Amino acid sequence: MVARTIPSHANIRLLAKKNLGDLLEVLGRWGTVYAPVEKQPDVYTFAETTDLSAIALGYLRTALPPKRFMYPPEERLYNFTLSKGFEEPPQSEDRQILFGVHPCDIHAFSILDLVFAGPYPEPRYFKRRRRTAIIGLDCLPDVNCFCYSMDTDSVERGFDLFLTDIGEDYFVRVGSSWGEEVVRACKDLFTGLKEGSIEEYKRRADARSRMFESHVEMSDMPQIMELEFSNPLWEELGEKCLSCGSCSIVCPTCYCYDIIDQFDLKGDSGSRTRRWDSCLFKEFAQVAGFNFRQDRSTRVKLRYYHKQIAFVEEYGRSSCVGCGRCIETCPAKINIIEVLNEIRGKKVMSHAG
Amino acid sequence: MSKPRVGIFGLTSCAGDQLAILNCEDELLDIIGAVDLKSFVMAQSDNEEKEFDVAFVEGAVVTEENEEKLREVREKSAILVAIGTCACWGGIPASANGIERVELYRQVYDTEEDYFKCGRTVLPLKEIVRVDLSVPGCPIEKDQIIAAVGSLLHGVSPVLPTYAVCTECRFKENRCLLVKDDLLCCGPITLAGCGARCPSHGLPCKGCRGPVEEPNAASEFDILKEKGYTRHDLEKAFRTFAYSIEIPERA
Ligand code: SF4
Ligand code: SF4
Ligand code: SF4
Ligand code: SF4
Ligand code: SF4
Repeated sequence: MVARTIPSHANIRLLAKKNLGDLLEVLGRWGTVYAPVEKQPDVYTFAETTDLSAIALGYLRTALPPKRFMYPPEERLYNFTLSKGFEEPPQSEDRQILFGVHPCDIHAFSILDLVFAGPYPEPRYFKRRRRTAIIGLDCLPDVNCFCYSMDTDSVERGFDLFLTDIGEDYFVRVGSSWGEEVVRACKDLFTGLKEGSIEEYKRRADARSRMFESHVEMSDMPQIMELEFSNPLWEELGEKCLSCGSCSIVCPTCYCYDIIDQFDLKGDSGSRTRRWDSCLFKEFAQVAGFNFRQDRSTRVKLRYYHKQIAFVEEYGRSSCVGCGRCIETCPAKINIIEVLNEIRGKKVMSHAG
Repeated sequence: MSKPRVGIFGLTSCAGDQLAILNCEDELLDIIGAVDLKSFVMAQSDNEEKEFDVAFVEGAVVTEENEEKLREVREKSAILVAIGTCACWGGIPASANGIERVELYRQVYDTEEDYFKCGRTVLPLKEIVRVDLSVPGCPIEKDQIIAAVGSLLHGVSPVLPTYAVCTECRFKENRCLLVKDDLLCCGPITLAGCGARCPSHGLPCKGCRGPVEEPNAASEFDILKEKGYTRHDLEKAFRTFAYSIEIPERA
């Protein structure tokens, strides 16, 4: 869906908050809408709904990131039989609309785009990506959010529409031709900018920037991490880590997977399945007769080194978007903000840095 | 390809795993069709105890008779598969280890006599014979037993999860009972494969599938100690299904 950006002011509208329910209803006619709902106390997920009263507009992070809509946790890649060879299960062609995606998760999609576009493009991912529309929504950070440090706290592209709360209205940025089409199709719901709306938008943006409590100084981080390869911290983290893999499963940019071939009982058929993997699992680096990362500490370290060094070398930026999911999830309380600051030799995390 | 000769045996257990095989309703005929079922005492009357390409053995070794039977099956079988947590880890029967037997006889059978000849330490199969494949579970999961049979038919081992219940729990986006509700959940050290069944119903994992390969019990103890649990609470929880789990002391 993400297409040509429409230049300048034509791409800004206002949506009165009271019209949001109607917008959702209209969106429902354009595709299947998934929006954040509170599935259990304090646990959010993107679920199929256009019912505004069911949507948790103030949610902060969903348990699983929205990457699962492009890249499902587990997916049958092929079925095979002796007679027919490999057959790919059909994929839906219908549009899916992700409503309420926060800036970090939108950035995460651009990161996954880089990875899956690589030397061997991943057609399934891009097929889903093309039929997915993204309606962004702004958010107010908690102590586990550090997108501000990762330069992912705001977005300029990667969305079809982006809604920012400015009081009575949403300040709506149109980011694609499809977004423009939606706005045109529901003219009655949108208006042009009002007196003061730009000021209010700017005021809120500044206020939001000041709300970030947690900071990591990222400049020169890959080099500093290299220098700290033997820091005893990695051993300490290895003692704590349970190898549960939760941190990479909830991460919006982790992309490793495992391939599982399974024969069925008939003897002439079977299937190939792809499932999210994690570098924290002991088997991750197991090759015939040898494991490259036998110890938990080397596995914890790898997760950091991949995100903060190897990825930067390959794609020019860290693959962490500061969403805070791994912090909220880790049963051993391993906290990426603390780890990165400790590696830098900083224990205090103040806004001034 | 001639059909592999298969035997299904039970030692001391509740027979739940054998029942789980019988409960593969839709696939049962395929399973029976794919193999030459030589022995399955629980399900058929004509049983032949000669040689087996694959033997599935349920239950823990509790009696001398169990051990003899196990050794005999091992001798006759090319591949021996331990099915169920009792066979893989000792399971519930092994939770008796460490308790004075006479005391147990008195409580359970109201006698001090070792009536069933079960005075020995209860052991999982691998402590006595070579086990080629372990499919734990209390009871085993249907899809895993089907995967195991399907793979063995092709001469390969099935790919079963080696990660923890937490992994599946995260896949399901469950509210974490350990992190958010301070409950004693064995998920972080328990082998996945059940789809995090209990946490998905709001109940902490009891560890019924036995531990992962490298359970970090020390770390889980640290986590739970902070929440007010004692070493005894953990030992009780961790060892219900796998008596051998140790909680190392931190240096
Ligand atoms: S590493 Fe943690 S904070 Fe960074 S993007 Fe992944 S889950 Fe979010
Ligand atoms: S190597 Fe680890 S940190 Fe990197 S993408 Fe894979 S799972 Fe994530
Ligand atoms: S979530 Fe925490 S305990 Fe689990 S694998 Fe990641 S760092 Fe280790
Ligand atoms: S509820 Fe239990 S199994 Fe689920 S993530 Fe938490 S500790 Fe793991
Ligand atoms: S969640 Fe734990 S106790 Fe429940 S079925 Fe799975 S392994 Fe067994």
